Amino acid sequence: MRQFRSMIYPYVLWIAIMIVVPMLLILLYAFTKGANDVATFRFTLEHFGRFFSDAVFLDVLKRSLVIAIWTTIVCVFLGYPIAYAIATGSEKSKIFWILMITLPTWINMLVRTYAWVGILQDDGLLNKFLGLFGIGPFHMMYTTFAVVLGMVYNFIPFMILQIHTSLAKMDKSFLEAASDLGANRVQSFLRITLPLSLPGVLSGITLVFLPAVSSFFIPKLLGGGQYVLIGNVIETQFLTSGDWNFGSAISLIMAIIIMLSMYLTRKVDTDPAANGRGE
Amino acid sequence: MKKIIALALASAMLLTGCNGGGATSAEAVEKYGSDTLKLYNWGEYMGENLISDFEKEFGVKVIVEYFDSNEMMYTKLQAGDAYDVLVPSDYMIQRMVEQDMLQELDLSLIPNMENVSDGVKNLPYDPENKYSVPYFWGSVGIVYNHNNVDPAVVEEQGYEILRNTDYKGKIYIYDSERDSFMMALKALGYSMNTENEAEIQEAYQWLLDMNNTMEPVYVTDEVIDGMMTGTKDIAVVYSGDATTILEENPDMSFYMPNEGTNIWSDAMVIPANAPNPKLAHEFINYVLTYDASMGNSEYVGYASSNQEVLDELSGEGGLFAENEAYLPRAGYEKDEVFVDNPVLKKTLAELWIKVKATK
Repeated sequence: MRQFRSMIYPYVLWIAIMIVVPMLLILLYAFTKGANDVATFRFTLEHFGRFFSDAVFLDVLKRSLVIAIWTTIVCVFLGYPIAYAIATGSEKSKIFWILMITLPTWINMLVRTYAWVGILQDDGLLNKFLGLFGIGPFHMMYTTFAVVLGMVYNFIPFMILQIHTSLAKMDKSFLEAASDLGANRVQSFLRITLPLSLPGVLSGITLVFLPAVSSFFIPKLLGGGQYVLIGNVIETQFLTSGDWNFGSAISLIMAIIIMLSMYLTRKVDTDPAANGRGE
Repeated sequence: MKKIIALALASAMLLTGCNGGGATSAEAVEKYGSDTLKLYNWGEYMGENLISDFEKEFGVKVIVEYFDSNEMMYTKLQAGDAYDVLVPSDYMIQRMVEQDMLQELDLSLIPNMENVSDGVKNLPYDPENKYSVPYFWGSVGIVYNHNNVDPAVVEEQGYEILRNTDYKGKIYIYDSERDSFMMALKALGYSMNTENEAEIQEAYQWLLDMNNTMEPVYVTDEVIDGMMTGTKDIAVVYSGDATTILEENPDMSFYMPNEGTNIWSDAMVIPANAPNPKLAHEFINYVLTYDASMGNSEYVGYASSNQEVLDELSGEGGLFAENEAYLPRAGYEKDEVFVDNPVLKKTLAELWIKVKATK
């Protein structure tokens, strides 16, 4: 197999150019000031000072985290039963439902989110439908509800697929053993299925939380600009004010928060095994 | 929003033409050195047949790409992309001229320049039209639903109506620092190009107050759909978009505040690194013809730079004769054109995101 080793070099080069170099640039920009021209930079920490000394930015950060956490919670509680139903269904229905869940992700996310505008607006599809029964109309656009809904809709496939994978991997003989030993269905779910699917839930949480916390066009489209999240602030720095340094500094702050949360989930992830309950 | 969608779906849509009548591709190559024109324009900004007619007549291919903000276009050019014709706005043209990004036009190749309306000629961003040829122009004003908002109140309060809590939860604000600060500065009686720190702070407070008391919805192109369906009662809108709104919804009226407004223009320019400047001149000249200008203005609803088209569409029996938003106000002393000022723009962008982020 040794002769194939050299085949990974193009891949390493690709990663270096596409991932490592941009990251280094962000790092460089975040700690420097001067024009967007890299040649004339000076080292500084002022961008971080500017971010953390401004109550408005801290508010935005808090709001982004809160909305991302809500999104993640809804995704877990909605995604788990769905994944469970799929995993315990017949082989044929499994393929069908997995397809149904992945199918929308083939369409551009922006287009799908824009479709929600048509559904949620005051004279939109949903209100027209409810109107047939004499309910409403409800004002849904440009609310926290709309933003969280948009995020849940866009990110829940990641949650369902992760949980489904870990449920599908589970050895069914555990459940047979449990029922032989007299456990009822609730007991065997709580003591076998749930702990064994936890790794799936945790990686699902990471996959939902990360894009949710940095999303910028969902709050823009469905939040009507009142829900300025950290992603919007970064976008403005790069596209409108042209302050790449400050934008990079905020991106770096986000990257650190994200890495921290990944580290924490990984820690939780390894704990059940340490307790001897997992694998 | 349509612009963003168009962009996402077809960031590089290829429009290839057939050579029915007109010249052939070989003739075009001989005459211009190439038969391909690369055009970078705003989304939803051209008449339906503009490109195909031009292709047919001159035997060329036009590749169109779309942008949804001047900044995006500028960033892309800086990244080294080459186009033959761009259609940026006033202040951006000024910046590009200052940075030697544009080439001087050869006006002998653009005889149709004589068709251009005086109201949009020789504006401060390019005083002698050495670099740019106007495409569309207009102003910014207030669109309101005259069934729910008394026209007398709009005329009396001008931009201040956006802080009138009688209309709380009923307003759209255009999500751009330039337009929002224009509105606030004009409402306070200052120049929209001010660099005075105190005046800017006052405008910031004006916007904060509006944000905190009025429950505004910040939108960009969604304002067109929103006002067409009557979702809100008041919005500050570009005159060309207002034309479209008024055409679709008879309940809406348009008012240009006495405090003054932003007179803007988008104009065709040829970048310094254009691969095919000869054909670019031909295209610019073609857009100024009566037929092409008419097609553009009828379809998009923005005020044409062609005086004849402008007169015909706004005159008696014209398509926009009843539409008070179509014809821009020319020569009003409190109206201004934006001046490019990157430092100021950065300050305003920063303040604007803070306004929106305040709860």
